[in-house]
Amino acid sequence: MTGATISRRRLLWRAANGFAGLAFTALAAEDTKTNPLAPRRPHFEGRARSVIFLYMDGGPSQMDTFDPKPRLDQDHGKPLPMKIPTTQFNDNGNIMRSPWEFRRHGQSGIPVSSLFPHVAGCVDDLAIVRSMVADHSEHTAANYLLHTGFGQQGRPSMGAWAIYGLGVESRNLPGFVVLDSGVIPAGGMDNFGSGFLPASYQGTLFRRGPVPVANVERREASAAEQERKLQLLRRLNQGLTDRMGAATEIDAMAANFELAFRMQSAVPELNDLGKESPATRALYGLDDKATEAFGRQCLLARRLVERGVRFVQCLTPPVRGVDRWDQHGKLFQGHTGNALAVDKPIAGLLKDLKSRGLLNQTLVIWGGEFGRTPMSQGQDGRDHNPFGYTMWLAGGGVRGGVIHGATDEFGYYAVENPVHIHDLHATMLHLLGMNHKQLTFRYGGRDMRLTDVHGEIVRSILL
Amino acid sequence: MTLRTIAARSLLATLLWACPSLAQIDSARARRHWSFQPLSAPAPPEVRQPRWVHTPVDRFVLAQLEAKMLRPAPEADRRTLLRRVTFDLTGLPPTPAEVEAFLKDTSPEAWRRVVTRLLDSPHYGERWGRHWLDLVRYAETDGHEFDVDKPNVHRYRDYVVRAFNDDLPYNRFVLEHLAGDQLDPRPVETVNQPPLATAFYWLGEVINTPVDSVQSMADRVDNQIDVIGKTFLGLTVACARCHDHKFDPIPTADYYSLAGFLHSSRLRQAVVDAPGHEQAIASLAQRLGRRPGPSRPLAHTFPPDFTVYEDFTSPAAGRWKFTGTAFEIRDGVLTSGGITAGLRGAAISKMFEIPQRYIHMRVAGKAEIKLVVDEYQNKTWAFTSGDQYLWRTIDARMVKHRNAYFQVTDLLGDGHIEVDAIVFSDQAKPPAIEASPALFPSLGITPAMPESVFALTATDGEPVNTKIHLRGNHKTLGSEVPRQFLSVLAGSAQQPVTEGSGRLELARRLTDPENPLLARVMVNRIWKHHFGHGLVRTPDNFGLTGDRPTHPALLDWLARRFIDSGWSVKSLHRLILDSAAYRMSSTASPAALAADPDNKLLHRGPIRRLEAEAIRDNLLAVAGVLDRTVYGPPVPVYVSPFMDGDARGKPKPGPLDGANRRSIYINVRRNYLPDSLTVFDFPQPISTIGNRNVSAVPSQSLFLMNNEFVSQQAGRWAARIASLPGGTAIQVNRMYLEAFAREPRPAELAEAKAFLASGATLQDYAHVLMCSTEFHFIR
Repeated sequence: MTGATISRRRLLWRAANGFAGLAFTALAAEDTKTNPLAPRRPHFEGRARSVIFLYMDGGPSQMDTFDPKPRLDQDHGKPLPMKIPTTQFNDNGNIMRSPWEFRRHGQSGIPVSSLFPHVAGCVDDLAIVRSMVADHSEHTAANYLLHTGFGQQGRPSMGAWAIYGLGVESRNLPGFVVLDSGVIPAGGMDNFGSGFLPASYQGTLFRRGPVPVANVERREASAAEQERKLQLLRRLNQGLTDRMGAATEIDAMAANFELAFRMQSAVPELNDLGKESPATRALYGLDDKATEAFGRQCLLARRLVERGVRFVQCLTPPVRGVDRWDQHGKLFQGHTGNALAVDKPIAGLLKDLKSRGLLNQTLVIWGGEFGRTPMSQGQDGRDHNPFGYTMWLAGGGVRGGVIHGATDEFGYYAVENPVHIHDLHATMLHLLGMNHKQLTFRYGGRDMRLTDVHGEIVRSILL
Repeated sequence: MTLRTIAARSLLATLLWACPSLAQIDSARARRHWSFQPLSAPAPPEVRQPRWVHTPVDRFVLAQLEAKMLRPAPEADRRTLLRRVTFDLTGLPPTPAEVEAFLKDTSPEAWRRVVTRLLDSPHYGERWGRHWLDLVRYAETDGHEFDVDKPNVHRYRDYVVRAFNDDLPYNRFVLEHLAGDQLDPRPVETVNQPPLATAFYWLGEVINTPVDSVQSMADRVDNQIDVIGKTFLGLTVACARCHDHKFDPIPTADYYSLAGFLHSSRLRQAVVDAPGHEQAIASLAQRLGRRPGPSRPLAHTFPPDFTVYEDFTSPAAGRWKFTGTAFEIRDGVLTSGGITAGLRGAAISKMFEIPQRYIHMRVAGKAEIKLVVDEYQNKTWAFTSGDQYLWRTIDARMVKHRNAYFQVTDLLGDGHIEVDAIVFSDQAKPPAIEASPALFPSLGITPAMPESVFALTATDGEPVNTKIHLRGNHKTLGSEVPRQFLSVLAGSAQQPVTEGSGRLELARRLTDPENPLLARVMVNRIWKHHFGHGLVRTPDNFGLTGDRPTHPALLDWLARRFIDSGWSVKSLHRLILDSAAYRMSSTASPAALAADPDNKLLHRGPIRRLEAEAIRDNLLAVAGVLDRTVYGPPVPVYVSPFMDGDARGKPKPGPLDGANRRSIYINVRRNYLPDSLTVFDFPQPISTIGNRNVSAVPSQSLFLMNNEFVSQQAGRWAARIASLPGGTAIQVNRMYLEAFAREPRPAELAEAKAFLASGATLQDYAHVLMCSTEFHFIR
């Protein structure tokens, strides 16, 4: 290679150990001159460095978890005295009381139902938003809205927006990781897609098991054997550059083999929980079959955040004998099983992050794509309700021990300080140090945003 | 009337009438935007170095380089050129024999011969057809929750491939897309082609169980408008859904004018037999004669709590349309077996509002019935009732009070179906009426009949105009607007369309040669796939927010030549490929690189990574296993353990190597796109994609290093090479020819020998070549 043909980028990479540039995307639309995954300066100093989204697939019921409604006890079995919008199944019964008791917890005295005894112990760290509002009564569209800010397939996921805006700090791991134990939400992988953003921003699904990502296991018998092939590959690639001159696109592909080689060891290292202390493992419930799956996801989430991964999403684990949180029938059984699987691991995560000094820079978000109806569906279920439900936030610049907003006395509609999904997204971006109105990507002639043309930051829950 | 009599005054009037808040854009200025202007007739400019010029295209390119004191790069060597043009036109590598033939052909006609050979190859249509499929968000399933199959949609893919191979004039191609169901037949073999094109309307995502179906319909129409606007016109018309377009002269009224055409059109599975073929089937059927049917009681008596939708024994029955040769109403039943089970067809009922929760149908035989609700084919029931009439009941709770129609389909060569009554009620129990054997019981042996071809098509529904949705909300309606074309292109002198859905008239206005966008946009797309970038670098957006052309005169000159050639895409390729500009080396001089880093002035040839399909096809071709069969039903997608979608839509997995077929034939399932393609930026089929992303991420390297498919091809390649006579040198030589269309340099051969002597296998070596940058880039 002659000096004159060394590209500027190549020089930059070499100057930074060759590893600063994780990847490079030659956008056809806009020939980016910089590495799109390199850490980028936020719009302003954000409180949170990372986000962990504890996604409760199917829509947990607000009046059975964090939003007590005594009126449901009083009027149990009576018709709901209000206009009922079309629900997914339109098989609407009468008012149904919660089968769980609410008790006050912590210094804040915030009531939490007996479904979440461990999370209740962390209630002083939570900002509980009781007035969430979404747009869709049906899972797939609701999931797209929750994840991408738009109720149809094809928009970038909030995790993709986060790394588009801030880049990736981890050197050997993707910036947006989705931890799965076997239940992919309705809408599929498009919930974690990069949409019109370059593909490098899409979420990477880490599956349960020894090989969490595709193609990360080498096929050669030994690392040395693979390294020998890589050496020949380097010479071949260099030969092309020598003959035809350097080109940034080609350099990027050649460089990615080096990163890929390192990822082959970084991923197993991440996945190996053997070095975690027995106390830590117990804290997350790894010693109990009921909590092991989600406990593992939560512990991996902490390890990912420690390694600089920007956005981690934990998917709902499968629970034997019951569906995810989508209890159209058998509410008691279903919610009991689902809560048991996640309660201790979530509390473990919050406590562990706190004791390691990570909670103040990690935003934890809990919730589903919608809530459920105050009246029954069939005998003992609840239908979908996007008009008023609960999510909570913790850490990363959020005030603990507060309740924001309220639903009506039956828990159907948000009536006080409604927080739309767009507002949640705006708040999340704000905590990461980004103005949601300035985080844009030109597509199809428009400057697209995660929050479309909406979004108000929920300032009263911020530190 | 010419379309371009765009009287400024009247347009403004239209805008003001449509939308009082027009202050946002300066519409007069917007209409002066370059892309709305008529095509100019530029003469190729004079240049100082005429020796470089092969064709007039070069004069346009060179003049701009000379203006900046730049020189074009020298011509690339012949091997590089052959590899470049072969991938460009067919998406496949040149074979060693093709390389040798080209090197030996020293006549001045050698290049043209190569171009002609490649344009004549059936693989040309596969390559360029796939580019087109990106524009129309081609997929073979509905996506959303259940990822239901779109039946027969591969007929559209084959239509597109065939249209490119046959060099169907582009204006005709567009006409057939918009209104192919209403044009005179254009048979190819046994299939009438034009209706196949109309499948493009229905290739989008479909919500399986919409809670708000009006909203879902509006979203579907929005996607159709987006695709039509971007694909044919390079305009982001869909931006005008909620408000007047913020930048382009497209008022929201225009958006709802277009929406009217779409709301007046319906999706239909229809028989698309060529007239001759249909006749042949009919005369065969005639010879077989009609099967005698026993006489049946006239009219059933239903209990009073049932609402009769259709009692085929009643003389009033007859609200059905038929497609194909099988169906008729006779002897008190709707049947596809009145002649022979070998006939195929469909019967479609009139639209009705679902009045009650339960729908009961009395059915005998074997076939399927769809309930199409709000134009969403979201429920299918397959029946095998046998020779006794049985009641089948649908719980329609979720779709009560929606508009729906039935589609009874018999696609079977050896089955038939009979329906004798359809009733509604509030209870799940069907009415008790007398039992009945099938009128036309199945026969042991079915005489073979020529097959009828079904396809997804558009057809006219009830013509309706649409009301403007204020702020895009279907619950707040404004005034009704007539169905007509975009005012900025048609002018205000255009008459509203009232006949039928009006799609044919829309198609005529859109393909009027006075519409400057149709040719410009297509010419730009062709250029883009030869040079890496279009002359307009935003191929789907020629509006005010799009890029301006780097070579406006060249664009117009090409567009005029394109129209004058009778809209021949192949002539356009020749025009471009014959130029010296196309044949430049991709290696630039430092001076040119500094002055024009993005190559906007075209000082050198492009450097391009192969697209996803070409990478996969190249691996199969080099391995020596590529199945070159053209056309046909899709190959099931390979589902790797890492392909996770919603389990409800998980398909039965196909073979790892995709049966060695070209990538265009792999089943495009929205929720299960093949990961061997998505890893290299195969686009999600959402809307028009004229520019794919070209990412370079580590997952691609991991794929090439460790994926089973790549390893399989390396193994197959090595095994084939190992069986060649001769030693390492000859084998490596052959591998270089197959992979790179060149011979190894002495140093490369030495490296290969050293590598193989160190204990590595020929498969290891093949694998390294398949990972190399030279394998995946076109220079």
